[in-house]
Amino acid sequence: MASVLERLKASKTSYLYILPALIGLLFLVLYPFAYNIYISFTNMNIGHIRNFYLIGLTNYAYIFSDPNFPVIVENTVIWTFSNVIPTVALGLLLALILNSKVKGKNIYRLFLIVPWAMPSFITLLIWKGMYDLQYGVFNRFLGQFGIAPINWLGDCHWAFFAIVVANIWLGYPFMMIIFSGALQSIPTELYEAASIDGAVGFRRMRHITVPLIRPTIILGLLLGSIWTFNNFNSAYLITAGGPGVCTTIFITQAYNLAFGGFLNFSVAAAYAFIAFIFLFFPGLLWTRYMGVTREGT
Amino acid sequence: MTSNPGAQWTVGKVVQAVLKHAFLILMALISIYPVLWVVSTAFTPGETLATGWHFVLGLVPVPNAPTLDHFTSVFNLQVTGGTFADWLRNSLVITVSTVIASVALTLPAGYAFSRRVFPGRGGLMFSFLLPTMFPGVVTIIPQFLIFATLGLVNTYWGCIIPYTVGSFALSIFIMKGAFDSVPRDLDEAAMIDGASEFRAFWQILVPLTLPSVATVSLWAFMGSWLDFALAHVMLQTNNMWTLPLALYSLITPTYTYYGTFSAMSLIMAVPVFVVFMIFQRYLVTGLTAGSVKG
Repeated sequence: MASVLERLKASKTSYLYILPALIGLLFLVLYPFAYNIYISFTNMNIGHIRNFYLIGLTNYAYIFSDPNFPVIVENTVIWTFSNVIPTVALGLLLALILNSKVKGKNIYRLFLIVPWAMPSFITLLIWKGMYDLQYGVFNRFLGQFGIAPINWLGDCHWAFFAIVVANIWLGYPFMMIIFSGALQSIPTELYEAASIDGAVGFRRMRHITVPLIRPTIILGLLLGSIWTFNNFNSAYLITAGGPGVCTTIFITQAYNLAFGGFLNFSVAAAYAFIAFIFLFFPGLLWTRYMGVTREGT
Repeated sequence: MTSNPGAQWTVGKVVQAVLKHAFLILMALISIYPVLWVVSTAFTPGETLATGWHFVLGLVPVPNAPTLDHFTSVFNLQVTGGTFADWLRNSLVITVSTVIASVALTLPAGYAFSRRVFPGRGGLMFSFLLPTMFPGVVTIIPQFLIFATLGLVNTYWGCIIPYTVGSFALSIFIMKGAFDSVPRDLDEAAMIDGASEFRAFWQILVPLTLPSVATVSLWAFMGSWLDFALAHVMLQTNNMWTLPLALYSLITPTYTYYGTFSAMSLIMAVPVFVVFMIFQRYLVTGLTAGSVKG
């Protein structure tokens, strides 16, 4: 058996391939990550920007005793699920329809991809305009049926509903694209063989299509959850977390604490670390799924 | 004439086709509707959302007197020392450099993770995925402190390097998945025939994984062309702004220049859209290459 040193030596070229990327990762991701954990145990805030020192678990105690904390946890969980499930379902449905015999597929696809191809911080501001109490198109539309205007962004429940709808709009094209890819990779011979055996319609779907694209569905759900959980733009640009904390999730809370005028970097860092722990489990599943943590050939 | 019962239009099939098209048309309209607003606002005189158009079918805003004024004002835009030409140049330099750097660094890393076995491989791969699980907004503070120490704040490097690193989490794994899907025998055979490892990589693996290379490029392009949060912290003088910063400057606490904002949004979105349309076919294969292998 070769010694560790010899094995490292033999792998020199392998490390060289990764080295440039690794240096970047080290300085811009891993160091900030460690630094973030460190300042979450200090009192770095507007009064102690330079002269901060360790204060133990005070920031964490502060967060857990904050009456808003359970609300933010609940918001984050509801936000993630209420976005991911419809997004995956819509994407899958569209991909299935576009994979069947339909005329004009390419034109439909061109339109359907628009929400993904447009810069999200632009379209989110447009959504904000559409929700406007006075000039917004939704209230204008309701007005035609004599329905009183809804205060979309001023009411707690409507505001949450509003940002979820906007984010689903942003999300389904990506899911449609990955499911289309998976569906196209199913060999047509399988379907031909099945139709000889008399399997059509729903049975074909249940016994061939779903099992074969299950890995992609899981990938979509996991990646979708991680991205939604961390989606700053969608949760911030329309409502900025308000009214009150009605639409505040972990990431917008961390941002508000750090940059929202209070410069409370240490509590923000603690929030970010708690968010990381929440994401660690689905993240780990995802990495297993990508075949990363299994040591393979 | 023989009749083929399978090819005939039955009532069920017609209903099915009608339902499919109805759903697709509805979703297509929902997809483009917010964008119609941007287009209308960009061509409507005045800077507010209140007047200047009428509604077709009660929903679609159409300008009463279409104008190109907003586009001219975008090209003539100046904010104390910075001009549209500056911002366009900054955005182009930063974006092109990020795409090149991202491809140049993720290809070898993806290759090593796919083809080579070495101590710490699993741990290294895991650390490249770590950023996905961490809220990115918060890492901006330490990143800024590092670049301030190095004197790289307000330079192109201050954006190019973080954008490139930011693209790793997904890109390295897209490339690993793509290389995994190419049978090993292909490049091994070439090396047995005397080709260097680099030649086998460059002349066999890369041409076979071009869809994934395109996806990686597109990913880096989107991340840098559209970023606001990091640029806002790094680029401090007006002549160093990128286009998203200039766009954001049109939204002030007291007044929003909706007309100019929309015109500039369109100018920024058109290249993204064109690139998407060109690469659409590759994207599908590129994003799923690693995930659907058996």
